[in-house]
Order: sequence, then C-alpha cells, then structure tokens
Amino acid sequence: MDNSIEQEEKTLTEKESLLLITDMINKARNSYHDNGIAAIMWGCVITFCSLVMFAQLQFNFKLPFSITWLTLVAIIPQIFLTIKEKKERKAKMHEDVAMDYIWLGFGICIFLLSHVTGEIFENLNEAAGSYKTATGEKFPFLFNEYVFPLFLILYGLPTFITGGMCKFRPMFWGGIFCWVCSIISVYTHVKIDLLLTAAAATVAWLIPGLILKQDYVRAKRELKEQHV
Amino acid sequence: MEPQQFSPQQSLELIQNMISKTKADISGNRFYFLLWGWIALIGILGQYILKVIIVYEHHYAIWLITFVGTVVSIIYTVKRDARQKARTYVADNMSYLWTGLGVGFFVLIIIFTKIGWQYAYPFFILFYGMGTFISGKILQFPPLIIGGIFNWALSAASVFFHFDHQMLFAAAAIITSYLIPGYLLKSKTNG
Repeated sequence: MDNSIEQEEKTLTEKESLLLITDMINKARNSYHDNGIAAIMWGCVITFCSLVMFAQLQFNFKLPFSITWLTLVAIIPQIFLTIKEKKERKAKMHEDVAMDYIWLGFGICIFLLSHVTGEIFENLNEAAGSYKTATGEKFPFLFNEYVFPLFLILYGLPTFITGGMCKFRPMFWGGIFCWVCSIISVYTHVKIDLLLTAAAATVAWLIPGLILKQDYVRAKRELKEQHV
Repeated sequence: MEPQQFSPQQSLELIQNMISKTKADISGNRFYFLLWGWIALIGILGQYILKVIIVYEHHYAIWLITFVGTVVSIIYTVKRDARQKARTYVADNMSYLWTGLGVGFFVLIIIFTKIGWQYAYPFFILFYGMGTFISGKILQFPPLIIGGIFNWALSAASVFFHFDHQMLFAAAAIITSYLIPGYLLKSKTNG
C-alpha cells in the first residue's frame, strides 16, 4: 500500500517523462499492423491474379470466370482480420485511426477506379464499333493499355503513406516502386503491364508483409521467454 | 544545470501543451487547402470558359498556373519549417500523405499526356477525394471527410457526362473538398 502511494507521488525528470511517453507510443504502435497477414494475403492475391492474367494472354487460354473475382473473395478474410485486430488492439493511437482510414479510402478508390475505367471501356467499345462500321478498320486506341498504370498509382499511395507514417522502409520503398512500375507500364504492352503489377504487389505488400510477420513472431517469442 | 523535475501534474501539462501545438499545426494546413483550392478552381473554370465559351484551341494552357502554386507552396513550407523547431506527428503524416498524392498527380499527368485528357477529370476528382478524406481523419476534421466522400460520389457520376460537363463536376469537387473545409479551418482558428 505504502509502496503504491510512493509510486503515485514519485516525480519524474523531464527525460523520464519523455521516455515514458515514447515507451507508451511504441507499445501501442507495435501492437498494430505488425503481424503482416493482410499484407501477405493481398500481396499473394494480386501477384497471383496478375500472373494468371498474363498466362492467359501469353498461352492463349481463357478461364471460365474472371480471375479478378478472387480479389472480391479475399475481402471476406480481410473483414475477419480487421474484426480480430480491433478486438486485440488495446489502445487506439491517433496514427492507428489514420491508418485504418488510409486503407479504407484505398479500398473505396479501387472500387471507384474499377467503375470509372469500366464505364470508359463501355463508351470506347461503342466508339470502336462505330469506327469499324464506318472505316472497316480496327479502332486505333486501346484503353486497356492504360488501365494497369492507373491501378499502380493507387497501389503506391497507401503503401508509401503507411511506410512513411510507421517509419517502415520496405513499404515506403514499395510505394515508390509501384509508381516507377506505373510510369513504365504507360509505355509497355499489357502483358508487360501485368508482370509489372505482379512485381509491384510482391515488392510493396508480400515482401514487407513477410518481414512484418518475421518481426512479429520474434517479438512474441521474446515476450514469452521474458514471462517464463 | 539541474534536470527539471516533473510532477505527474506537470507531465500532463506537457502533454496538453504538445496537443495544443498539434492543434495549431492542424489549422496551419488551411493555407495549403486554400492555395490549391483557389488555383485548381481558377484552372478548371478558366479551362471551361476558354474551351466552352470562348472556344480557344489551347484551353489547357490555363493549367500553367499550377507552377505558381508549386513555387508559393515550396517557399511557404521552407519558411514554416525554419520557424518550427519540432515537427508534430500530424505535420509528418500530412507531409507523407500530400507528397504521395503529389507524386500520384504527377504520374496521372504522365498517363493522360499519353492517353489524351478527355478522360482525366473523373480520375483527378477521385484522387482529390482520397487526399481530403484521409486528411480529414489525420486532422480529425469532419468537413474534410465529408468533402472527400462527396468527391467520390462526383467522380463516380462524372464518368457518365461529356468532358465539358466533367469540368463543372471538378469545380464542385474543389469547392466542397478544399475551399469550404479550408475556410472552416480558418474560422475555427480565429474562433
């Protein structure tokens, strides 16, 4: 009892106060986004989808369904992961809230980007039909050559911001890598665009996710050893 | 010099002080929203007038105005950073967000220079929305969040319209996501 009163009334030096604050911030920060499962999952899904789409073009075959549906299926485990994470998270830092909304905003933008590009495709298909009827020639402009660069810009954004905010270099550079791939893919054929998309998803999400997972497992093991 | 002793009360005051600094930093962001809000609005409406009303061939030349915005932004940021000794988390996070968006806009410009500008506005409105939505969460300022969501709705709808009308959608997007929140941030600071 006396001990606890003593603890309560203990004054802190400026250095100790700042150390305490920093420690609290780090404790809360390390409890978020560090198991890397979501990054690994999305890295795998996007890489896999891009490679399958590449294979379809390269080896001239067609699946009975669009492989991009897999990205919608992956939303289900993502929802479970988010709910689990929210339950486990003890204190919600300002950055955690911002991070949640960065990725929510990204999800909404991906959905909207699909809608906008889909609508443009539809308009262009009509224009291409009229052009072919009038001239008998193939429409000279292929919009699908430019769809992947647009998605790659968007992939880079939350990755770069997350990497910067969390001081996590692999994601920071992963975001920049997505933008480099985006610029290159403006000038390349769709098949190369797909390979660049696969590379971007691997560098921006899969590899950083694996690093996070490794750190998480190590930290958990150390914590267990401390308690034994 | 003896190390300063902090009671728990003083420690809390220090934290309160840091929070106040952060709040001051939040209102400091209004400069960028107002500057870029006005520049973008002049660009969009200028292009609309030149293209639709005056029917001028090089209507896109109005966008050279963004160079003025870039120079003013750089000077303001350099001066502000020299004045402020310590950077807050909010300033850091906003810096990463808008650097990312700046690069995003740059890559978008490269893409549309190649594709042609007739499809550009829905994508630009989409990115405006992302910037203001996330800024709203970082700054904990609901008008920005609402502005961001409204932009996304405008982006989704604008794709069904002709380029000339898409410019008006973009003007509405700038007013609701940059200018109105920018002025609300200003009145919040003054109040």
